[in-house]
Amino acid sequence: MYAIFKREFLSYFRSPVGYVAIAIFSFLSGFIFYTQFSEGLVNIGNEVITLRSFFVVIVPIITMGLLAEDKKRGTDILYYTTPVSLFSVVTGKVLAAFALFAIMFINVIIHIIVTICCGGMVGVGAIGTIIVFFFMALTFISIGLFASAITDNQIVSAIVSFIFILIFQILTVIAGYVATAVDSLLTTIGFSTESASAAGSAVKNAISWFDPFAKTQDFRLGVFSVSSLVYLVSLFVLFLYLTYRVLDKKRWSQA
Amino acid sequence: MIEINNLVKRYGDKTAVNDISFTVNDDEILGFLGPNGAGKSTTMNIITGYLSSTSGTVKVNGHDILEEPELAKKEIGYLPENPPLYNDMTVSEYLNFIFDLKCVPKERRKNQFDRIVSMVKITDVTGRLVGNLSKGYKQRVGIAQALVGDPSILILDEPTVGLDPNQIIEIRKLIKSLAKTHSIIISSHILPEIQEIADRVVIINKGKIAAIDTLNDLSRRLSGQSKLLMTFRGPVKECSAKVRAIQGVASSVPRITDSKINQLEIGIASDNTNEVRASIFFMMAKEGWPILEFRSLDPTLEEIFLNITSGKRRS
Amino acid sequence: MNKNMTNKPEKKTDDRAGKMKLYSIGSVVLLIAIILLVNILFDRIFGKSLSFDFSDTAQNSVSQATVDYLDSLPADTHIRIVGLFSRPGNVSGTSYQYIIPLLDDYVRESDGKVTVEYVNPTENPSIIYQLDPNNSYDLSSKADSFVVEYNGKIRVISPIDCYMYDEQVYKYYGQYYITGNNTEFTFTNTMFNLTSDYSFKAYIVTGLKEEGNSYLTKILDSMAVETAELPVSANFVIPEDCDLLIINGPNSDISENMYVAMTDYLTGGGKMFVAVDYNLANVSEKYTRLNLLLNQMNINIDPVLISENDPAYQLGSSVDSTVMAADEFADYSNIKYLHSSYARNIRIIENYEAGLYTNPVLLTSQKASLVELDEQGNSVDSDINTENQYNVAACSSGYGNDPAKVYVFGTLNFSSDEYISSYGLSDSNVDFLKSCIRDLSSTKPMTGLNIATKQINNFSLDAQKSTTALSTVILIVFMIAIPVLLVAAAVIVYIKRKNL
Repeated sequence: MYAIFKREFLSYFRSPVGYVAIAIFSFLSGFIFYTQFSEGLVNIGNEVITLRSFFVVIVPIITMGLLAEDKKRGTDILYYTTPVSLFSVVTGKVLAAFALFAIMFINVIIHIIVTICCGGMVGVGAIGTIIVFFFMALTFISIGLFASAITDNQIVSAIVSFIFILIFQILTVIAGYVATAVDSLLTTIGFSTESASAAGSAVKNAISWFDPFAKTQDFRLGVFSVSSLVYLVSLFVLFLYLTYRVLDKKRWSQA
Repeated sequence: MIEINNLVKRYGDKTAVNDISFTVNDDEILGFLGPNGAGKSTTMNIITGYLSSTSGTVKVNGHDILEEPELAKKEIGYLPENPPLYNDMTVSEYLNFIFDLKCVPKERRKNQFDRIVSMVKITDVTGRLVGNLSKGYKQRVGIAQALVGDPSILILDEPTVGLDPNQIIEIRKLIKSLAKTHSIIISSHILPEIQEIADRVVIINKGKIAAIDTLNDLSRRLSGQSKLLMTFRGPVKECSAKVRAIQGVASSVPRITDSKINQLEIGIASDNTNEVRASIFFMMAKEGWPILEFRSLDPTLEEIFLNITSGKRRS
Repeated sequence: MNKNMTNKPEKKTDDRAGKMKLYSIGSVVLLIAIILLVNILFDRIFGKSLSFDFSDTAQNSVSQATVDYLDSLPADTHIRIVGLFSRPGNVSGTSYQYIIPLLDDYVRESDGKVTVEYVNPTENPSIIYQLDPNNSYDLSSKADSFVVEYNGKIRVISPIDCYMYDEQVYKYYGQYYITGNNTEFTFTNTMFNLTSDYSFKAYIVTGLKEEGNSYLTKILDSMAVETAELPVSANFVIPEDCDLLIINGPNSDISENMYVAMTDYLTGGGKMFVAVDYNLANVSEKYTRLNLLLNQMNINIDPVLISENDPAYQLGSSVDSTVMAADEFADYSNIKYLHSSYARNIRIIENYEAGLYTNPVLLTSQKASLVELDEQGNSVDSDINTENQYNVAACSSGYGNDPAKVYVFGTLNFSSDEYISSYGLSDSNVDFLKSCIRDLSSTKPMTGLNIATKQINNFSLDAQKSTTALSTVILIVFMIAIPVLLVAAAVIVYIKRKNL
């Protein structure tokens, strides 16, 4: 695992990708921080939450090559023919991308220091959002890695992970549309308005339950709920395992 | 030592490897011969654990590749058909990554690194980017990669393909030198290459083993199948008849390529092709028909298989 | 996973791959099942106990006082909280940011006694009738509010009820600068009021005029003020439970025994709301006894009509005009300029009685004058016809704990059926009236629940340190220098490695 982690992590810095990704992140976080600072009100929690909405762009850039590039070059054969286990390959790759996020996050830490030096407040809410930031990064990276495993084309991989993450980001909106659709469908096929709208809101609640952003929104206020972190970790484990399975499939696949 | 028993690999309806069994002994070079698409790479991929077999077992120094994959893989150094190289790494970065991957202890690394690098003669390119190396150097880096971790078995899939003749000679030398301390399986679709370096040959065609032989047996089998091509100036029919009359010549097919120059394809059934060639020369000299060209035709692999299988049928 | 695989090369079906496929799919399905189970477990069973409020002031958790109160309720209690809007996905930065998470905590802590739902009346119009069959709260105009319902009784809470805000900032900039979070205070006390039958009871004196008080009653009802009528009679007594006495638009003066009873009432710290106007039915009425009563609070109702001479204040005529809320009352309504007509002058007696705090509430322009009318409504020449600023309403209270307090309005534009029925319950005058009633009721001490206001995090920087210069430095360093350096590093690395 360490071998894979080391190679992938260093490869971000052997090519311009890592520097550019960090530069983009620095610029964005700097912009948010500057905007807040110039108004004299700095809420690190808000900064981190705003940065979270850029996952949809940054994560695909970071993860698109992780496995797709290996398959294209044929270097994936190393993972199968050396004593390293496929699971540690997957974990190593995720951790490498995660470490890049951690490096990016140094920006925010500097902002925190500046804020404290200027008499601002970095409260429990900020710590909560930072915790969520990292858990969410881990989850989305595993989704990006999965997207990278199912194709050998980096662009396809980036698009797939972009769509996946986008869906998670607008899940509540989607839930609203689906609920309306279910509602009107049931009404047109003859159900009573009451039961149709009940079914609609049930569908809405069911879909919204999966929204990681809604689940973790109370962290910014200092309310830490373990169950929402468990949800994020579950997603992470699921996609990690799916990725592992996709890699393993190559051994026995008949195609 | 590798024991392969009843190996089968099917892709849907297509059978890529059909019931292959053979053994590779310690410190021998086993040539793995077969035309493109015969199942050589598939077999090697199964041995190295890249693919799982449909049925059958592979034991590497006693470790089953499916049941104890990590132990088995430790014993193998594998150079696939396309060397698994990262073009964005330097040679030393790449090899260090392989050291990490194969979990070679830190204290043994420096030593091994120097040894491997000098053995495959890439000492002067260790600081260069893999992507910027020539094909031959890339192949050497690929071999270096297979040598990392001191595996007792090397599996080299077409190590000379796409190289220029000089590079081929050097790679062959390298492989020969490695044979002193390793068991090696080397695949190729070129017979002479195998003949030159292998102790034993496994020939497969269409997923099946056509023959397993020591090199001596193989050459005996292949002898009598030699063909000569002669270009000369003289009367075609007469010459053809006279050649056919020489002891050991099985057939002679005349062909007029030019009104002045004629070609004759001669099949020789004798063990002693040199004797036949001498006889032809003396005959031609006696008749005063100048020989313009005289060369032996290497049999294509397809022809060898045809011969081997038909020979088997005969015996 | 392959332990039990045997060599059967003669077998045509691909056993091993089939088993691996089965294993692969099976393990994924199993994993999904486990994950769902674990999540349901954490979400439904451990969710409450594994949620920790680490915020400095526990903004989003109900305090022990509320928990104790909820626990004290019988198990079959059902308090229903309905937000009259769709639940927002992201509450941060909105006025709900402290309310919605706290309400979720009410649900968690109450063992089903409190339910919270969000019903948007535009999608589900029946909710309004369901909650408020008499439409006494005009819920359709309260799209941002919460309704707390218990046993058919409801209370309406708007988001701003849940906050303390800097009144100075509000006065000058018209913005709420939130300084404290009263969400728990508001909701718990509302529930407490509903469940403990706590009430604030107002008596409206009847029999001094002809018209009813139905709109005033409706407004009081919406403010959770219970109302009862107190008819004029020979043995007039003010009941013990009277928290507020209202005399709305009397056309005749109070009787002697009413005067005595009311004097006692005020002496005991009573609250009064008095509204009169100047119309043909009471043009000659001087309210001698009522004035004697109010004089104890430094206020006198003058038998003169206020005539507005500033065209900017006139609304059609000199007696139908705009009045301005005094600074202290400017936040009682969303606009500072309100509507008055046929107003009497509410004079603050000049030889100020000590121990009283008396202020004008509504003011005319500087160019108003006073006119005395005869019984036919014609103006009588008078030497008081000088231009000045006069009071249309005034307020007076004593000092100390729960003192007597009166609001006296010289116009009926704030309380009469005639005005409210034509301008509606959402009129600014109604808002102003409500604020006055709220002010009169706010001093009634709450029995029992003492819930602290929570301080809201203040993210402002030290103005001494966060100078404009530093802000520019931050702009340059974080937005320009760091990204540019990184891009430069990218270029250097690329060029250096390209030719290795």
